[in-house]
Amino acid sequence: MNLTDFISRDAVTINLKSQGKEDVIAELVELLVETSAIDRKHKKKIVEILMAREALGSTAIGQGIAIPHGKYEGAKQLIGCLGISKKGVDFDSLDGEPAHIFFLLIAPADSAGPHLKALARISRLLKDKFIRESLKSAKDEKEMMAIIEQEDARLSAA
Amino acid sequence: MKKIQKEIQVRNPQGLHARPAALFVQIVSKYDVNVTVEKNGDRVNGKSIMGILTLGAQQNSLVGIEIEGDAADQVMQELEALLTQEET
Repeated sequence: MNLTDFISRDAVTINLKSQGKEDVIAELVELLVETSAIDRKHKKKIVEILMAREALGSTAIGQGIAIPHGKYEGAKQLIGCLGISKKGVDFDSLDGEPAHIFFLLIAPADSAGPHLKALARISRLLKDKFIRESLKSAKDEKEMMAIIEQEDARLSAA
Repeated sequence: MKKIQKEIQVRNPQGLHARPAALFVQIVSKYDVNVTVEKNGDRVNGKSIMGILTLGAQQNSLVGIEIEGDAADQVMQELEALLTQEET
């Protein structure tokens, strides 16, 4: 599985503006609405689902990364987006550090496998400190996507 | 230093996804132990959620757990309980 299989080209931003947990999740979901990955009428429900998941335990897994995710019956396939917050967001991370890199994932209700594969794929990418720093300091979305595509190519070749 | 290892089958229908991975790290971090998790030759630190997620351990997959430290038995017991839970 490649990252670009579930992150569409335009659903990335280097400039998340929100400061609160729910606001940043809504901002990421809005990105999916704007790129027509999801219908606007589902936005509120999806934000609720993602927040309900956060209530079970933060998806901020440390080292400045958060992976808000959830299942939505309206989703036909795994969809995701990627956002960077330069300032960082307090996301109740396990290591207490603010989250800067957000991978948001929405999976179809009846699936488990693709979701787990995507988490594994994202984790393999972000384990690399150099990649984390490159994403955080990318100057625009094009540069972010170039990093992602390069890594896809590197990991598929490995 | 005590060192034990065991193969455990993941029972969680969702596999070793984000929440169980976080719980796994929470258990390990309570004790003064070193834990290594292995699947298909990949070995990761049991204190890293990201490391554990990279394994992509699905339901019914086998993971090898290696624990080093005085509390090894206790930690193994708790980790086994976590991985063999049908629901998390």
